Amino acid sequence: MIEHLLQSPPGWIHFLIFFCLGAILLAIVLGFVTYAILAERKVLGFMQIRIGPNRIGGRFGLLQTVADVFKLLIKEDIIPKLADRPLFILAPILAFAPSFLVLAVMPFSENVKFADIGVGLLYYIAVSGISAIGMLLGGWASNNKYSLLGGMRSAAQMISYEIPLVMSVIGVILFTGSLNLTDIVEGQKHVAYMFLSPIGFIVFFISSLAELSRTPFDLPEAESELVAGYHVEYSGFRWAFFMLAEYVYLFAMASLMTVLFLGGWNPIPFLGFIPGVIWFALKFSLIVFIMIWIRGTFPRIRADQLMEFAWKVLLPLALLNIFVSAAVKELFLK
Amino acid sequence: MTGEMIAFFILALVAICGGVFMIHSENVVHMVVSLIFTFLSIAGIYILLSAEFVAVVQVLIYSGAITIIMLFGIMLTKHDPKSEKRIAKSRILAVGTGVVAFFIIMFLAINKLSFKQQDVELYVHNVKKIGIELYSKYVIPFELTSILLLVALIGAVVLAKKDESEEMNEHE
Repeated sequence: MIEHLLQSPPGWIHFLIFFCLGAILLAIVLGFVTYAILAERKVLGFMQIRIGPNRIGGRFGLLQTVADVFKLLIKEDIIPKLADRPLFILAPILAFAPSFLVLAVMPFSENVKFADIGVGLLYYIAVSGISAIGMLLGGWASNNKYSLLGGMRSAAQMISYEIPLVMSVIGVILFTGSLNLTDIVEGQKHVAYMFLSPIGFIVFFISSLAELSRTPFDLPEAESELVAGYHVEYSGFRWAFFMLAEYVYLFAMASLMTVLFLGGWNPIPFLGFIPGVIWFALKFSLIVFIMIWIRGTFPRIRADQLMEFAWKVLLPLALLNIFVSAAVKELFLK
Repeated sequence: MTGEMIAFFILALVAICGGVFMIHSENVVHMVVSLIFTFLSIAGIYILLSAEFVAVVQVLIYSGAITIIMLFGIMLTKHDPKSEKRIAKSRILAVGTGVVAFFIIMFLAINKLSFKQQDVELYVHNVKKIGIELYSKYVIPFELTSILLLVALIGAVVLAKKDESEEMNEHE
């Protein structure tokens, strides 16, 4: 149906249909963000032997995040007097918009996907890079030295970890021979790339944690040690936008990891009767859970260790992975 | 008016506005932000021409590079330079004639330009085609470029290393 719509002449009905599809995806993502935050707090509570949110919305605190978001929305919107007003307003938008844009190429199952473009993987990497500009801009526009330093810190981290992130994916591209995410999933019909390039998977996982600025790499925020980073001066819904971008990236990154390394919607052998979307959701939830688990158990690393780890450990490992993947392809997959 | 035309006009307008703002504004960071808009809308125009690969690479390279430019812009310039420079009338006149001459030359050239029969199927699997071209016809320039980049990388490492040892000497 989408193919037909894309090739017919444009009109308001098409606009409406695509708009509705986009709105549905946005609603799903916002629903995920709401409950991912709750799940994070619940799991962390469980790991730290406490209960976690349990007041609003029944015994499990199901409406806790809704209440939090409502609180943020009705807060006073403060723009500092000496801040650079237009850029201060633009920064959260520039940080959030790419996080939702990247979802356009994500194939959730054989049928549930939006744009099936040839360079899907490259598109994800390219567009997600724009968010770093939003963060740096937010830090600068606040006209506060702490937020400027925070912005610098985040930008340095994002750029450093993008390199091993991209390099670790090259193994997968070598196996598939395509940058199209659907082709990559199709290539994992028999064995997931996680087993074919384990080094690539580990490097990708670690650098994705840094890209999402989650523990142990949550220096951009580091709520208990450094002042909150690039968004010190932000409050209310602008601050909520930065946080939203972070969690939408969690959604996008977990989906990308499922697609690249865990075989997307492909079922585990002998369990093919379960539909693809469910498989995707299961693998996706597993990754999100592991990320929360890591947050509950790892200490934060220092800024200089962070940089050294990216350039001296992850980058050589990613280069090694390219070599090993090429060898594996030549020897076993011919 | 097709959808493509509307998209093209919006993108072109954003690109030109970004360029104009870039020249006009006095603040380094504002300049960089307007550059971002120009680069992104040029990427959009590439997509309209079905050159997805070029578009994505444009975003990938320039968005990364822009962040670095912005970092340097913030680090190497003064925070609030309020310099009012008077520009001579003659200079404005000279620049104006230059712009008009450039416009006339480009206008005539574009009007005369005629493309031969285009390959209609060029956009199908364009990533693959670019890859094949690069690795069959243009291998040597491609490899030379990679060596150049490698030299630049090693040069950066050497420069960074040197600073450190000199600092050590100063401490001693």
